Amino acid sequence: MKTLTYREDGYCRVVDLVCCPDSDSAAFQAAEFSEICDRLAWDEDARVVLLYYDGGITAPAVDGTGEPFSQVEAAASLKQPVIAAVRGNVTGFGLELALACDIRIACEDACFGFPQVLEGKMLCHGGTQRLPRLIGQARAMHMLLAGGLIDAAKAVRWGLVHRTVSSATLATAAMDLAAEIADKSPLSLAFAKEAVYGGRDLTLDQGLRMELDLYLLLFSTSDRVEGIRAFREKRKPEFLGE
Amino acid sequence: MSGFETVIYEKSDAIAFVTLNRPQSLNAFSVRMRDELFEILSAIKADDEVRVVVFKGAGERAFCAGADLKEFLTAPSAIKARRIRAVRDLWRLFLGMPQPLIAALHGYVLGSGMEIALFCDLRIGSPDVVFGLPEVGLGILPGAGGTQTLPRILGLSGAMDMLMTGRRMDAEEALAKGVLNEIVSFGELYPRAKSVAGRITACDPVVIRYAKQAVIKGLDMSLDQGLELEWRLARLARSGPAAGE
Repeated sequence: MKTLTYREDGYCRVVDLVCCPDSDSAAFQAAEFSEICDRLAWDEDARVVLLYYDGGITAPAVDGTGEPFSQVEAAASLKQPVIAAVRGNVTGFGLELALACDIRIACEDACFGFPQVLEGKMLCHGGTQRLPRLIGQARAMHMLLAGGLIDAAKAVRWGLVHRTVSSATLATAAMDLAAEIADKSPLSLAFAKEAVYGGRDLTLDQGLRMELDLYLLLFSTSDRVEGIRAFREKRKPEFLGE
Repeated sequence: MSGFETVIYEKSDAIAFVTLNRPQSLNAFSVRMRDELFEILSAIKADDEVRVVVFKGAGERAFCAGADLKEFLTAPSAIKARRIRAVRDLWRLFLGMPQPLIAALHGYVLGSGMEIALFCDLRIGSPDVVFGLPEVGLGILPGAGGTQTLPRILGLSGAMDMLMTGRRMDAEEALAKGVLNEIVSFGELYPRAKSVAGRITACDPVVIRYAKQAVIKGLDMSLDQGLELEWRLARLARSGPAAGE
């Protein structure tokens, strides 16, 4: 069975995760997706990754030994910006996967939550760690402990989701967003992502130092020259990622 | 203090006003402006008469539209730039200011302009405010703390969206997401900033400094350490203003 489809579209890498019938095929999907992510680490033309899936996606079985391994850890390891384009009820594992992406776009009738916790299932792919960091402690506690689903409008207000669109336009809206990001310098994108997530666990003072080092490292690139020239010449920059 | 070309510095009733003053170039942040701000903030930091600082931009179109890109590409090498930053780090000076900083914002608040605003403790804006960090579209990176301060103020989720897409944020959205504390008409902007500043100067200056310090430093600590810091500062404040110096 095919657990995912993968395609390259210009600078964009699109992965469509199929809803697997059981945790064994989900484990197969995790391995396949992880392999793609490993390749993307060296794919210089991959400037943005777009991940489509239904929020009710099945989690691979957890064997309880070693490091957690799933689509979530693979997505979180990507240096490029990752967009999650989700539909349906985005709960449990599906939400944990979305939280590991950088930008979330959803259908306007989507719902979000972790009802599994109240049913006695502990989260194990970062939900309890990423949710409070993304939307704040009070709202995270509400979602984790009150257990109800929140609708897309509230998810936008709470900063959980960045944009909502009708289900008919999800694919085009996600591609438009990906294209917008693909226009940027891939080095700047990767460094900005590294600075934000790396700085999250540092003191502000340490974070400023790290940002400065990354900022200065970009002095060595031709993209910097191109970006500033293009701005002065009032034209669109052509970034090479060098 | 006088003789500044790109910044106006004024002081009245314990309030310092720092006005970015290059209205002909939308108050673009230049090397000269960096050096003058460094001198002014260093003086304010050591000036106990100043209890609160208000930052604003001259002219009608912008608080500050970002770094002056005319100066880029002629700038020193990375090694030299790093050395200059080590002895004249305006951004860590912003971070270490003991007094509350208020940003009175209008028009474009982009790039370094937004990063200055993010180092302030309160942000008041007029309805025409436009925030943005366009750096990734220019092949550069925010270099004045934006990748660190924006996630702390707007949240990790919103910060990634702004940084990755370079998209702009208007006043209403900024208010809804906590980036702006309030929106007032352009005509009311400076009177309002002044009255907020006045409310701060009416308070015990030591308590105000400690409260700011407790929040800023406490956010870098574990909750236990933060509670300890707050308790220590509260005891210091109770034993009288002199003890706090």
